[in-house]
Amino acid sequence: MKLFFASIFMLVSISIFAQKTYSTKTGQISFDASATVDIKAVNNQVDSKFIDNTGQMIFSLLIKSFKFANGLMEDHFNENYMESTKFPKADFKGYISNIASVNFTKNGTYPVNADGTLTIHGVAKKITAPGTITVSNGKVTIKTLFKIKLKDFITGSYIGSQIAEEAAITVNCEYQ
Amino acid sequence: MKKKIVLSLLLLGLITGAGTWYYVFVYSANHHRSAAEEKTIDIAATQLVTEYQTNESASNAKYLNKALKIVGEVSEVKKDQEGKTTVTIKSNDAFANVFCTLQSPSATSPTVGSKICLKGFCTGFLSDVVIKDAIVVTE
Repeated sequence: MKLFFASIFMLVSISIFAQKTYSTKTGQISFDASATVDIKAVNNQVDSKFIDNTGQMIFSLLIKSFKFANGLMEDHFNENYMESTKFPKADFKGYISNIASVNFTKNGTYPVNADGTLTIHGVAKKITAPGTITVSNGKVTIKTLFKIKLKDFITGSYIGSQIAEEAAITVNCEYQ
Repeated sequence: MKKKIVLSLLLLGLITGAGTWYYVFVYSANHHRSAAEEKTIDIAATQLVTEYQTNESASNAKYLNKALKIVGEVSEVKKDQEGKTTVTIKSNDAFANVFCTLQSPSATSPTVGSKICLKGFCTGFLSDVVIKDAIVVTE
């Protein structure tokens, strides 16, 4: 009898505390700051984790992992704008505010909102971004598209002329 | 005489302009650094991770953006979202490894548990030391 109650208690506590951490090391984040010329880059080495029941999430990436079609543009991006030797990383730490609306056991695309702090070039800023969580047979994908004002994070004389004032950031991360 | 000088200056300017245009828009658009052509720093994966864990900024000064030749044991082989092969090389700590994305599909696919030697560029340290544009080489 004792064993019976003990096992019931254990089952209940497991179901209460059961939480899953989803992670990836090959998340994809790209940006587009094109004005007069194409300024686009993609990073396929994004490290990201999130917890399904709390909605806590983190994305971290290395600036030097961004790849441009044009090698010279990549050098300028790293040296003149991001100073990626001094600030090698960027990250976002925050929460999905409406995580309760996502049913991780049912396939579908759920609209979500992320609130948190984005740190680029050593500058931290609070942001909110709308996005989606797609559940497909246990596989979870987070997608979002948001804009940042470049002058909030970096300086440079070309911003506003050859480089757009705002960069569109696209997140597309498939989790295991 | 004056005409000749002006003309040659004009020509010089034109050549410089064309050269700059070619370098910025044609050459740079098609040429990227390749670890195969650069002098590498040779290091074991275990050593690289230990150094990064001990002192990240000193390690960045030593290895960031440099071409490295890394040897170690493969612990995981996967594909990224663009279909490129990723290889994880073991360290002494199960939570921090060397994570490499291969530049192009390698002739011989790396296998888990086997020894590997690859060249690539170090982009820094997240939970792993990250290497981009890696190519598998023979030691």
